[in-house]
Amino acid sequence: MNNMSPEVALHRISPELRPLLCSVVRNGRVGLDSTNCLRVTDLKTGCTSLTPGPCCDRFKLHIPYAGETLKWDIIFNACYPELPPDFIFGEDAEFLPEPSELPHLVHWDAGNPECLLQLVKELIQQYHHYQCLRLRESSRLLFEYDSLLEDPNYGRNMEIYAGHKNSWTGEFSARFLLKLPVDFSNIPIYLLKDVILLLAGQICQDTALDPGEDVALLSVSFEDAEATQVFPKLYLSPSIEHALGGSSALHIPAFPSGGCLIDYVPQVCQLLTNKVQYVIQGYHKRREYIAAFLSHFGTGVVEYDAEGFTKLTLLLMWKDFCFLVHVDLPLYFPRDQPTLTFQSVYHFTNSGQLYSQVQKSYPYSPRWDGNEMAKRAKAYFKSFIPQFQEGAFANGKL
Amino acid sequence: MAASISGYTFSSVCYHSANSNADHEGFLLGDVRQEETVSISDTQISSAELLQVVEIHHHDPCAQLFSFYDYAGKVNEESLNSILKDRRKNVIGWYRFRRNTQQQMSFREQIIHKQLTQLLGVPDLVFLLFSFISTANSSTHALEYVLFRPNRSRYNQRITLSIPNLGNTSQQEYKVSSVPNTSLNYAKVIKEHGAEFFDKDGVMKDIRTIFQVYSALQDKLQAVCGEVEQSERVKEKIQEDVNKLKQQIALRKRKTAEEERRLREAQNADSHSTPEENTEPCEASPLSGITFPTPSAPERPSTSPNPPSYTDLMSQDDSLLPSSSPPTSAALLPRPQAVGSPGHPTPGPTVMGLGLGHGLGLGLSASSNPVTTPSTPYLGNGDGSSSDSLDRQAAGQEDDEEEEDDDDDEDSSEYENLVSEGAHLPMVSASVLAQGRPAALSPDGDARGSQAT
Repeated sequence: MNNMSPEVALHRISPELRPLLCSVVRNGRVGLDSTNCLRVTDLKTGCTSLTPGPCCDRFKLHIPYAGETLKWDIIFNACYPELPPDFIFGEDAEFLPEPSELPHLVHWDAGNPECLLQLVKELIQQYHHYQCLRLRESSRLLFEYDSLLEDPNYGRNMEIYAGHKNSWTGEFSARFLLKLPVDFSNIPIYLLKDVILLLAGQICQDTALDPGEDVALLSVSFEDAEATQVFPKLYLSPSIEHALGGSSALHIPAFPSGGCLIDYVPQVCQLLTNKVQYVIQGYHKRREYIAAFLSHFGTGVVEYDAEGFTKLTLLLMWKDFCFLVHVDLPLYFPRDQPTLTFQSVYHFTNSGQLYSQVQKSYPYSPRWDGNEMAKRAKAYFKSFIPQFQEGAFANGKL
Repeated sequence: MAASISGYTFSSVCYHSANSNADHEGFLLGDVRQEETVSISDTQISSAELLQVVEIHHHDPCAQLFSFYDYAGKVNEESLNSILKDRRKNVIGWYRFRRNTQQQMSFREQIIHKQLTQLLGVPDLVFLLFSFISTANSSTHALEYVLFRPNRSRYNQRITLSIPNLGNTSQQEYKVSSVPNTSLNYAKVIKEHGAEFFDKDGVMKDIRTIFQVYSALQDKLQAVCGEVEQSERVKEKIQEDVNKLKQQIALRKRKTAEEERRLREAQNADSHSTPEENTEPCEASPLSGITFPTPSAPERPSTSPNPPSYTDLMSQDDSLLPSSSPPTSAALLPRPQAVGSPGHPTPGPTVMGLGLGHGLGLGLSASSNPVTTPSTPYLGNGDGSSSDSLDRQAAGQEDDEEEEDDDDDEDSSEYENLVSEGAHLPMVSASVLAQGRPAALSPDGDARGSQAT
């Protein structure tokens, strides 16, 4: 019954309840972590075993929250589909929301397919309040919470999970999940596009079609009430992660001992923002670079990456010696130097490849603009080519 | 806290629940009582234990869900009253049945429970949760029930619910529960037919009857005791007499032995003696005086194998062994009246099977009465038709074998006969012995003849 695909769940549930479950399963996103959508397992029926199917009317809903997964039982009655459901909140036996705070329960409308989803969202809100109340057991953590709450940037996008007190050590743990207010909108689409294709394979399996908005989530786990053991972790949506250069983008500074969230979180935020800026800038810089080369080398340009501006290939001739130059622009260009690969058009190596030489260090400065870089590159080519030619003749075969 | 529910109430709840096609709920009616157990042990004077016992007598199912509460879980007191009516004061809890769910109180159940506790004014309202779990292929279904008292602390909420007599009552005792039987029909029937079993005091009639029988038996027993005592005393007296007689006999013996000795001495001194005269009487007396134990003898000499075991022991002559029963020597034995014997007087001198354990038989060989072959020494005349002889034989034998100590009391007609014939001592001659063997074969019953053959 685990890892049930949503389609299977929809097939097995009683027809009258299907629309409600549909919106939960297909569109259901609650909470900050919208990459993980709601999952349904353990479909069972409340009717007698002789009732012909499909007649399932009770199931377990997995809800991601603050880095945990809440497993709540939702109980309907297939014979009375107009009635609102009942809930069992798993291990949180003491969580008892006030019904008046759940308008979608009080005014339950079985005809509205979104009703259940809205009700679940309201319950999550109440659950969040409940967890925040539990933070009162630790004054330190409560302080953290209050200080974050005051900051409009973070206060509204917070999920708190106050863990159970460890009965052995008496330790109290909590986890803060914060959505970082970093603007990813200017990241060039091309960076994200690859990822979407990558995800497509996964999407067909278990997730919905829309991978969701791009988020950066910071999870900070306090293993003890005195905040001496703090473990921060950064979660980026896959496209952002890819755009920022893979898992290296997830490196963040350690939580300073004695520090507090209200100082640390903006720090991380800034770091992330800088990275994003870099990436955006890099894109523009590369574009500039390629444009400059185009204008300088004109017909010598064989091809170039017109989307990401990461590659450029030139075919040049010097004293009747033709050669190719491949330019690879790194992600953090202009901070990082482009790689030049010289390739002879005549000579082969032993392995059957065209003879080539890679040059990573050559006169370069990130402060030059595109034109300047093009000029300098030209000059460099002239100085380097004789060397290359000799090498090609010496080491390569025709 | 303990809880119990009678078997029929439980099954009724299950019935209602299992037949509903959705979740089902209702109220539990009953009693709560406090039991105090005072235990006294060696280590402490007394300790009292208070136990609250919840007894569920009835249940009141709700016809549909949400019948007394709304979507928000708010209980409507009017609806509650219309459902419960006057049973409201007996409510001790409520129950809910849901299939394929966890054994945990749900969100709405907790909200409703809180309100019911307040409205009904029962501080320890209990909640019975039934869950019906089926396996995926519907091969196994389990009905699970848990009784909660949610108003207590979080860790102490479950109570064990016991159902008396749910189990193997052939091994355990069938318990009568304290749940009162409130059925009107039952009360009516008992009242009608009760008079047949109970008397006016409310005690079962059978008990009285049995007690009467017991008393009668006791009385009889007392009477018998008295009789036994008396007969024991009689016996004691007789025993004393017997002992006395024995002593007398022994005394007499000694005297005669002494006299004899003196006589002999006197005779030796005189050198005149007539010992023969003495011998007979001498012989007779010891013989008469001696009591012979009566071995168990067969009634039908020919057919019975017994008599002879005694005979075997005593006789030194195997030939005497009894294919045939030896004739009785009436002369020797003081003959008591045989039990069941026809009372035939023994015929003349009947040769006795000395082997019958009269060890004296051998000793009697001195007797010179050879002819005393009885007309019926053995069973038979050989032709098998010997009813007379048999009877006589039987009688003889019985006479022979039976002997009692109470000579005095007996009808001693035969005894006299025997005594008169005492002169004829049984022959222990070889002829007798010989007769013992093949005598049966002699056609004419003549022992001698048989010997000859």
